[in-house]
Amino acid sequence: MLTAVFLGTFVIVGLAFAENPAKVTKVMGTPVSAITIEVYSDFQCPKCKFLHENWMGPLIRDYVRTGRAYLIQHEFPLPQHTYARTAACYACAADRVGKYGEVCDVLFKNQQEWEKDGKVDQTACSVLTPAEAAKVRTLAKDPEILAQVQKDVDLGMQARLTGTPTVIVTYKGKHYPVDVMGSYSIFTRLLDSLH
Amino acid sequence: MRKYAILLLRLTIGAVFLYAAYTKLRDPWALFAMSVDSYKILPEWAVLAVARSLPWFELALGVVLVSGFVLRHASVVAAGLLAVFFTLMVVSYARGLTIDCGCFGPGEALGPKTLLRDGTLLSLAIVLAVLAMLPAREITPPNVAPEKITMSA
Repeated sequence: MLTAVFLGTFVIVGLAFAENPAKVTKVMGTPVSAITIEVYSDFQCPKCKFLHENWMGPLIRDYVRTGRAYLIQHEFPLPQHTYARTAACYACAADRVGKYGEVCDVLFKNQQEWEKDGKVDQTACSVLTPAEAAKVRTLAKDPEILAQVQKDVDLGMQARLTGTPTVIVTYKGKHYPVDVMGSYSIFTRLLDSLH
Repeated sequence: MRKYAILLLRLTIGAVFLYAAYTKLRDPWALFAMSVDSYKILPEWAVLAVARSLPWFELALGVVLVSGFVLRHASVVAAGLLAVFFTLMVVSYARGLTIDCGCFGPGEALGPKTLLRDGTLLSLAIVLAVLAMLPAREITPPNVAPEKITMSA
């Protein structure tokens, strides 16, 4: 009986860990990692789309999932981008239902469409089940989510961001702002040199 | 006058090069490589070579300018280097690249302010090179008529 309980627990924990690596969340990795990477982005910014589509996947695979870096994705909707804050709220809301990565992917992928017609809701919810979509729609207007986005913006203002995307690498208490227009392979050299 | 102008210019430009080297060498070299790469001009191997060597070259140039040693050569090299930087910056700005200047470490966006600063530095470096290349004039006494000696009885 006891063995069965242990085995059952082991299987459940194993499944939970097996499922986790596939998930992309706003905060990923272990906080005790030597390197912290903070990404400030705006869903309507083309350079943020470039960063998301070219850097984030390999970065998560090579450094975050391997425990070498702690990743924090901050929302930093710029005031001149009409729908960026709404998109940020949907992304944060999606994080609560475990679909942050999926919603970010679809928002960046279809950036040029929804930034014209403002159909953020339709785009974001296209990758969610009806139940998840209903929850995300409610959460996206929740004061707690709005405050979460504002908190990210305030953090960016404190960090004196001049634009998006901004990637700040922190190692041993020192902050290194990185120019993300460079190639990912050179960025890896920076991260490797810090270890 | 010319001597003081040269002194002032070489100390100013030398200090700028020393500061530029310091801001790059205090951080991991790959951070500067990211800035160089963002200009999208060089292949990766060249980006890495420039990122590793340029800060040390700037340091050496700064030391040589401040010391005044081989000033003619150093001033021409400084003007040439600043001309290359300025050209790259103007071209990148014209191409609409919103990147870091990379001049004095990360976090400084390429824009009119950085162009004005580097343009001014380039002008000063050219003036220094011209002044250093001009042959030094010989100091000759003023042409004064000999005093008439009058003998009195």
